[in-house]
Amino acid sequence: MAQASLQSSPTRSTSDQIIDRIWRFFCSVRAAVAEITFLALLVLIGTLRGSEVPRWIAEAFPFLQGIVDRWYAWDVFSSLLFALTLALIAVAIAVCTLNRAPSIWQTISHPRVATSRSWLRGAETSATFTRTGTADSLADDLSSVFAKRRYRVLSERIGNEVHLYADKNRFAKLGTFPFHLALILILVGGLMAAHYGFREQEFIVVEGDTRPVGHNTGLSIRLDQFTDNYTAMGVAASYKSDITILQDGREVKSGDIRVGHPMSYGSATVYQSSLGFAKSFRITDAAGNVIYEGSQPIGVFTLKGNPDAPAGLVDLPGIGGQLVFAAQDTDPANRPDLDTLNLNSDQLWIQLGLRDAASGQLVNVPGQKVELGKPAQIGQYTITWTGTNRFSVMQVAYNPGVPVFIIAVVLLLGGLMATFYFPHRRVRALVSSTGDSASVQLAPLAKRDWSGKRDFLRLIQDAQESLGTPTAVKLPKSGGDWDTFKPKTNAMT
Amino acid sequence: MDGLVRFSFYLFAASSMAIWVSAIAYIAYAVGRVRVQRQTMVTSAGSTVTSMSAEFGPSVQGVGRIGTMMAVFGALFAGFAILTRAIAAEHIVLSNMYEYSLVFIFFTTSAYLVFERIYGVRQLGAIVMTVAGLMTLYVWSLPSDMREINPVVPALQAGPIMAFHVGSANLAYSVLSVSFGAAVLFLIADRWAPRWLPSAEMLDDIAFRAVTVGFPFLSLMLILGSVWAHDAWGTYWSWDPKETAALFAWLVYAVYLHTRTLRGWRGRRSAYILLFGFASLIFTYYGNYFFGGLHAYGGVKM
Repeated sequence: MAQASLQSSPTRSTSDQIIDRIWRFFCSVRAAVAEITFLALLVLIGTLRGSEVPRWIAEAFPFLQGIVDRWYAWDVFSSLLFALTLALIAVAIAVCTLNRAPSIWQTISHPRVATSRSWLRGAETSATFTRTGTADSLADDLSSVFAKRRYRVLSERIGNEVHLYADKNRFAKLGTFPFHLALILILVGGLMAAHYGFREQEFIVVEGDTRPVGHNTGLSIRLDQFTDNYTAMGVAASYKSDITILQDGREVKSGDIRVGHPMSYGSATVYQSSLGFAKSFRITDAAGNVIYEGSQPIGVFTLKGNPDAPAGLVDLPGIGGQLVFAAQDTDPANRPDLDTLNLNSDQLWIQLGLRDAASGQLVNVPGQKVELGKPAQIGQYTITWTGTNRFSVMQVAYNPGVPVFIIAVVLLLGGLMATFYFPHRRVRALVSSTGDSASVQLAPLAKRDWSGKRDFLRLIQDAQESLGTPTAVKLPKSGGDWDTFKPKTNAMT
Repeated sequence: MDGLVRFSFYLFAASSMAIWVSAIAYIAYAVGRVRVQRQTMVTSAGSTVTSMSAEFGPSVQGVGRIGTMMAVFGALFAGFAILTRAIAAEHIVLSNMYEYSLVFIFFTTSAYLVFERIYGVRQLGAIVMTVAGLMTLYVWSLPSDMREINPVVPALQAGPIMAFHVGSANLAYSVLSVSFGAAVLFLIADRWAPRWLPSAEMLDDIAFRAVTVGFPFLSLMLILGSVWAHDAWGTYWSWDPKETAALFAWLVYAVYLHTRTLRGWRGRRSAYILLFGFASLIFTYYGNYFFGGLHAYGGVKM
């Protein structure tokens, strides 16, 4: 139990008392549980936001429509409240861990050895062995039994009695520290990634093109080739991009990337995300000068007049304009009434927008249909759709939190395994002698711990080999479950 | 190869039957013998009063043994169904809800049998095997085309990390089903204390031990999912609804562990948290029905 170790006293200053209160708040398990519960509630709200559940609620209870609208509008995981809750929990973990450390270390290194007859009498489970001999020899034999089961044994003589304290897996109690440290490190890793890293989520490169990464990396990525395979049902079976990474224009690394198989160079890692098609154009002015020659992705731009059609945009800074283009809408799921272009599969619709010199506004020249390879005259410009090729959607990211995350994972799993799979088992015993006989009464520290009691009874079974039949064994009150662990004894309570 | 796929399905059908027989046997074993007695008395005024009373007694051991035997058959059939399907598909069978649920049935039945072996408590099977049985009904309700082998989409072709990520999730849900079963029995034992149910303390311990196995796997699922997401999407965490639903379940079980180990909560309060935790797992498991986002791979649509 994490409890505040500091006590307020009348002589302490107000600031000390305030610090004490804050410390106690962060150490409070009740507060920690409330914080985790509140975080869970926020996570639930954020999770449901990504589902149809709020909409179902609004349909069932129309008067809640306003709340549901606000629910959908609230990005929980980007909110200040969520960040503050995470920060609060991180601080609580740190403070609570520091506060618990001395008591845990005390339990591990300097546990109290002496016990009392009243505690042993009150224990729910206990056993007593009696035999001829001295208390010391009985204590030695009992210590051997403990040692066989990998218990550490500490003893203390008080008067004619020998007090024994035996425990095993004591260092597993430290498992709570790496586990909680790992949670903090995961948050630290996330913060490092957010503040010192970068992530380009839709890094689109058309086959044959090169695109700079930016973020002061000096890197560019060229898509040499894109390969994809499809199943008979038209589902993508695999796709990969053959890319070349350039550092300040110089080729530094080549290879292919696939989903789940990224490529790293320097501070950047390139991931395969998805794919698409691009349209190539050649635009010349009245004098025959090439204004633009290249490819632009299609399907990444929404056309105002026909929002379902796959569309694209060519920016033309040289002439202060842009070219909008759209292809046939082939998706049967789309609304056919919105398709006002009526294109064939071998047609594109293009519209040139030119900036008015006086007003600076973009003025659209009426759009027209074009066919592959056939030049179209729009104003003084000749626009030719020269082909269709592919583009690859990649992600480019730099995450400096990766090493921190890896350390956190190791600590988290190690801490969990130590805590759960190596439980701290403790047994107290009191050895005394009367005349030429000695007896020992021992009991586990396993209040409301079924497994602890079971382990203790197994220990008693082992002890019978060297200590003889116990004179008394006190089984847990919840009878009926202990038959398989019942030791051979002549006295059972 | 089609024959092997069909054979795998027949094995699943056999597993379904064995699991349901097992669940019914365990329920009969848990409820025990019920003897209804009717007493008729004539009062001094001459009127007749009839009273009914039910007397419960422990069931015969043979019923429990049938439950165990059929659970073993259920696990074996499910295991062979997975194996034959994996051979036919040439990939790990975790690519859609049919395969995922098949593995869940195998893990849940196996996890239950392990706990039965350790604790010697057959009554637990009444709940856990019913959960496994309900999952078989869900599998039967899935579209039949999901029983066919389809190529794994590129996003799921991530080799061992993806397999361990999904496998950890499945194993965690299965073992935590055992803790759910123990929590339900605990609440019954705590409320009515029938003689033939195990002690409440033992059931509480079973529930806790199951969480100590399931929680690390739940953590591993989140970790491996993050590692895979980092390789696939360039980020450890995307706040995808299914991710956050799993995080929510993880937090619920974290609350359970903290309240139990640090605040000493035992008994009813802990059991209620476990029921809530299991509800959150079901919510996560069937998240594909509610959520869009990056985890919409399960092949299920509303």
